Amino acid sequence: MKDKIGKKLSGAEILLEQLLVQGVDTVFGYPGGAIMPVYDKLYGYLDRLHHVLVRHEQGAIHAAQGYARIKGEPGFVMVTSGPGATNVITGVADAMIDSTPVVVVAGQVTTGLLGTDAFQETDLIGMTTPITKWSYQIRRAEDVAWAVSRAFYIAASGRPGPVVLDFTKDAQTGLAEFQPCHCDFIRSYVPVPEVPQTAIEQAAAMINAAERPFVVYGQGILLSGAEKELGDFLDKGDIPAGSTLLGLSALPSDNPHLKGMLGMHGSIASNIMTCECDLLLAVGMRFDDRVTGKLEKYARQAKIIHIDIDASEIGKNIPVDLGIVGDAKQVLARLTPLIEKRRRSAWEHRNEECDAVERERVCLPEIAPADGPVNPGEVIAAVAKATRGNAVIVTDVGQNQMLAARYSRFSQSRSFLSSGGLGTMGFGLPAAIGAKIAAPERPVCLFVGDGGIQMTVQELGTIMQEKTGVKIVLLNNNWLGNVRMWQELFFGERYSCTRLLNPDFKMLAAAYGIRCENVESREELAPAIERMLADDAPCILNVHVREESLVFPMIPPGKELDQIMLNTQDWYSYGK
Amino acid sequence: MASEKLYEITAYTENQVGLLSAVAGIFTRRSLNIEKLLVYPSRIEGIHKFKILTRTDERRVKAVVAQMEKKVDVVKAFWEVDSERSHKEKEAVEDFLQHRENQSKTAL
Repeated sequence: MKDKIGKKLSGAEILLEQLLVQGVDTVFGYPGGAIMPVYDKLYGYLDRLHHVLVRHEQGAIHAAQGYARIKGEPGFVMVTSGPGATNVITGVADAMIDSTPVVVVAGQVTTGLLGTDAFQETDLIGMTTPITKWSYQIRRAEDVAWAVSRAFYIAASGRPGPVVLDFTKDAQTGLAEFQPCHCDFIRSYVPVPEVPQTAIEQAAAMINAAERPFVVYGQGILLSGAEKELGDFLDKGDIPAGSTLLGLSALPSDNPHLKGMLGMHGSIASNIMTCECDLLLAVGMRFDDRVTGKLEKYARQAKIIHIDIDASEIGKNIPVDLGIVGDAKQVLARLTPLIEKRRRSAWEHRNEECDAVERERVCLPEIAPADGPVNPGEVIAAVAKATRGNAVIVTDVGQNQMLAARYSRFSQSRSFLSSGGLGTMGFGLPAAIGAKIAAPERPVCLFVGDGGIQMTVQELGTIMQEKTGVKIVLLNNNWLGNVRMWQELFFGERYSCTRLLNPDFKMLAAAYGIRCENVESREELAPAIERMLADDAPCILNVHVREESLVFPMIPPGKELDQIMLNTQDWYSYGK
Repeated sequence: MASEKLYEITAYTENQVGLLSAVAGIFTRRSLNIEKLLVYPSRIEGIHKFKILTRTDERRVKAVVAQMEKKVDVVKAFWEVDSERSHKEKEAVEDFLQHRENQSKTAL
């Protein structure tokens, strides 16, 4: 690296040198015409930059998202112009809404051809502006190091997100003197706002005055590394908490303050406690409608404090009594010394009645049925038991996702990976590849449906080539299960276009040289999971699960949080 | 909406290519019409200024301003209820449209 400083290099090589300055060691990519000068230079850097050749650019970005979320560092994607660039857009939107740091470099036609509808030209900046933190077109080799450095700084700082760099071909081939850049300041951009002491004191006073405070936290805890600070805060105040989908694994599953996941398919306790608390303290979450249910009725009995690093989130969905714009780790660390150490025993145990109902009426029928077909939740609980909560759990989107969130167990942070905000089917398989590359020493288990796996199934080729030891648990019910469920519950059992005729997944896996076992019965399940986890090779468990599966508890869309379905007939009411 | 008023939004920004489209997108996404738009160099060297007039309610104007400030190249954004609406432009367009309508009648 050092011997290149001050030398005249092509823009393509400056990109690669600057990637090394940024600490990048993995590139998820796919070559093509307009990015070929970079790929040509990459040939001499493959000893330092591990290039993962995906089978479709969407796979590259989801893999980079998985890598970023598990490793806590930006993922890097490199694709060509035109269709290569448009194919990453789903993942860019996903990374934006789920606050995931990724940097995408896309080739672009030479500057003289911009705006002429040249071969594989597309207005990538125009298309990605609304779904990126920053997007920039590099038109000169002189600007490469600056733009790349700025891109990584913006992607990773403050509330993280995606950055797109549109790299024209003449900027790739043009020469400039290489000087490494280290961007850590942009005058118009304040990633971590300062929090005045008065706001901390006001929050502490509100918490100390509360009899029934309840914390709702999200991915902001993981992003700011505030796991310990959150735990200490809850311990000192004896305060219960609920997690959003993306906040899962920030606290270990056995933390006594944790009352479960919030929202539509969350625990009864966390939703009821949201409705009964006198102070709601939201940290690093954004009041998504899947968390709040009917907005106008959400926690109206409570005072609300909202801590988030993104000022535009304060008051966006929910009017708050106190908004604190700052980093969760710093704010919690300053707040804990000011709150009173006390016991709130009755309130802390409020969940027990809810949990008993949930266990008897929902969980046991799902994970421990006496007979009948294998339930999808049963498979997830069995994997949780076999991995003792140490695996990275990756999900696709739909029933597999909600059940994995409900029945997985976590013993360490950054162990749950799912497309939350955008709900991108097809996310799971490539994201699991990125997760395994980020954490090769940990087991990575993907739960995916037969619909979702077929959206990005070509990435089995990436697994084959990279020998990525992903454990794929295919919850196969021959339906688009979540939509089928909504059709059953809310659309008069009119099963419009949700039945799938599937390929023989065992033959498909064999074509890619990946071991696959079919599981048809309950007796086969646990031994098959043991065999799957016995080594670090890629493996598919094709589990034939109950075809008419439903996920409960469920707060139907638009309902209030205390309107909870236990099954198709019964609604939760106190103690029943 | 009962509480809709004309609001004037002012933003101080870096002078970057594509920022106009980024700012306009914030309005498009919320189906807000831009009634008036001015972009010009501010009195601060190197800093540009947007003035945007839009009809909405207070909750949404706050959200729009927060989204504008969130853009990396936006320095600061403010909002206020517009108190000095100029009717001159409106009259000019009305005159023009009236003129065109008269012309179309003559053509028949």
